[in-house]
Amino acid sequence: MQSPSAPGPQVDLKIVYDAIVVGSGAAGGMAAHVLTSQGMKVLLLEAGKQLDTTKELKSMEWPYDHPRRGEMPPGYHPLGLNEYNVRNPPYAKDSKYPHVESYVQGWNGPDYSKNIVVDEKDHPYTGTKYAWVRARCVGGKTNIWGRLALRLSDYDFKAKSRDGYGEDWPITYADIAPYYDKVDLYLGVSGHKENLPYLPDSLFQRPVKLTSSELHLRGELAKMGRVLTPYRAGVTTDGLKHNKYRSKCFGRGACDRRAGGCDIHAAFDSPTGLIRPAMDTGNLTLRPNSTVYEVTVDPNTGKARGVNFIDTESGKTYEARARAVILGASTLESARLMMLSKSSQHPNGIGNSSNHVGHNFCEHIMGPGINGLVKDLVGKPRTLDDGRPGSFYLARFRNLSDKQSNFIRGYGFEGSSGTTMIPGNAFETLGFGSSYKKAVRDYAGAYISMGAFGEVLPRYENGVSIDPNVKDKWGVPVLKFNYTFGDNEKKMAADMAVTAREMFEASGIEVVSVNREILTEGWSIHELGTSRMGNDPKTSVLNQFQQSHDVPNLLVVDGSSHVNASCQNPTWTIMALCWRSCEHLADELRKGSV
Amino acid sequence: MEGHSRRDLLRIAAGAVAAVPAVAQQTAETAASPAPLFFTPAEFQMVDELTEIIIPSDAHSPGARAAKVASYLDKSLAESFENEPRQKFREGLKLVDNLSTQLHKKTFVESTPKQRVAVVAQMARNEKTPKKPEEQFFVQLKASTAFAYYTSSIGIHQEMEYKGNTMQNEYAGFDAGLVPIQLPDSSK
Repeated sequence: MQSPSAPGPQVDLKIVYDAIVVGSGAAGGMAAHVLTSQGMKVLLLEAGKQLDTTKELKSMEWPYDHPRRGEMPPGYHPLGLNEYNVRNPPYAKDSKYPHVESYVQGWNGPDYSKNIVVDEKDHPYTGTKYAWVRARCVGGKTNIWGRLALRLSDYDFKAKSRDGYGEDWPITYADIAPYYDKVDLYLGVSGHKENLPYLPDSLFQRPVKLTSSELHLRGELAKMGRVLTPYRAGVTTDGLKHNKYRSKCFGRGACDRRAGGCDIHAAFDSPTGLIRPAMDTGNLTLRPNSTVYEVTVDPNTGKARGVNFIDTESGKTYEARARAVILGASTLESARLMMLSKSSQHPNGIGNSSNHVGHNFCEHIMGPGINGLVKDLVGKPRTLDDGRPGSFYLARFRNLSDKQSNFIRGYGFEGSSGTTMIPGNAFETLGFGSSYKKAVRDYAGAYISMGAFGEVLPRYENGVSIDPNVKDKWGVPVLKFNYTFGDNEKKMAADMAVTAREMFEASGIEVVSVNREILTEGWSIHELGTSRMGNDPKTSVLNQFQQSHDVPNLLVVDGSSHVNASCQNPTWTIMALCWRSCEHLADELRKGSV
Repeated sequence: MEGHSRRDLLRIAAGAVAAVPAVAQQTAETAASPAPLFFTPAEFQMVDELTEIIIPSDAHSPGARAAKVASYLDKSLAESFENEPRQKFREGLKLVDNLSTQLHKKTFVESTPKQRVAVVAQMARNEKTPKKPEEQFFVQLKASTAFAYYTSSIGIHQEMEYKGNTMQNEYAGFDAGLVPIQLPDSSK
């Protein structure tokens, strides 16, 4: 593996690039990869800093070799569930702590990711309750993502045709399938073929293995027509001959001990998976510490001319120019940027003649889940159960061939079982002394648990707008949330707890606890919608190639374009769609038709 | 989701605490310990004894004393950003001595080993729903002790015999393609 930190070409703000890409996560990194491989000269602007994540993450450091056992230094505070629920944002306002970070920093080993996620004090937002997790650095959230790499299907793309709600996507599975294949082959994905029409298989590398209790549950659920499959991890388990910055996975297991991250980059991250290879083409210029606050417009044509950005270190502002502007700043940041980009041609914000930018915001609802005990495993010799990049995924089973009476769409479960480095049951086992030690030891490997992720319906009234009264550290007006879960989500969440219990009981797993509590909006970190695609410019923002209906040389390639949330994790779809759109854009740039 | 609650529990456990350099692990128990940073020497002795009662050395593995749990608690309290955890811990130790005096007319450290265990047992009586201040202190002390112990070298390697955090070429476990198996033979 080579160090992912060699510099690219110098930034030259006098030239007109073929494309400016805003944001360097899954979407921006993919746009940079596709366009540079097609010979386009690309300027990639990232609001955050350049971090050497190989050094930040220290995936194999033992807790006892860290001065605070992985905890953050004094003065760093992770927001907790209560703080999100009893107060309204901005959550860090008037905090006594010098540094306030989002809830993911309350997980194990937060010291390793404290520089990857943002300090909430610098990045306020207002409005309704929302647990917004942001990473501002090269690669964004891909540096610590949960790695579940799933495909969507026509059950999602044509959901309206199935149940009448919302809108269909302007594409079908057949349109995107070749691009899922490209993403699979270029980045690597691990999984087990199941031939499910509602959870299409990828071109899988070596799958993750199951523990004995997971294999048992898989067998029992099969009798109910439900499918528990090894975690489909966006991880190269066999290695990638074409990428010298990433190693294959060695099952070291740090991925679930901490917020995430992989210091050998077996788990996909944008810096090593996409950006460094793009730099090797000689066509990519990366400028970190560059916060774009406006898409500029050619006064004659109304088309995008480039972007204005602030150097976050010097505070100086610059304009960069390009033939096309591609937003991949994240679902919420791209919407913010479009709404901030007001001009005489686009008084409502660029690309927003439909008044749909910021609306139809959707994600996944989570919280309900279950913890169970497999009694046959109590007191058994230690096995190695966490040395793998994920445990299991239980595919959606609601509203496929059946029709639930009180909610539409579906949910899947992510779960895990077996031994971990630090036994979680040590904090739940009563008593003290040798009997306590023995109980912790005997039961530590015998638990199995899972939690659901459900589709939140897109609704026009659920969204974000600009709050002109509150500004971030650099003086840019912030987002105001107007977003809550609705009736369909709450009924679906109630069903999650019921089916979780039903499945464990049917499998002979002793139910230890069932959680019915819904976590704060935003908890899934799967923000989607806000600039949805569609064929009708009056009710959608983008066409099927993620081009603005109003401004053909403006693309939005992150989760903003998704028409609904599905219940399946979005990252692989973001990258497949982006690949398809950027290939199309490259054709148009060559023809001079944008 | 279990992952969430488990991680939150670890967080809660770590909330009042936070630090011991690796070097502390290597110091032999018999070597002269450096002066505590926050605790008085008497308090340190008391915490050392309390944590050892909660997680003792036994035939399976060394306990909290060998894992330098008191030293970890001392350093983390010393560097805590807030003053409240320090105050609460100090008050908690006073509650232990009050209870000990009430039960045995002796301070905790002056008591016999059997009497000390009886004091801890009294504090642990309502662990699920602690009401009295000394019961609440026990829950806090135990969570901190468990965190410090199970993240220590002794806790991870000797007590839990953790096999991971190594490079493997093949994942451990079972192929999903296998016909569902019976759980491992209980007679082994």
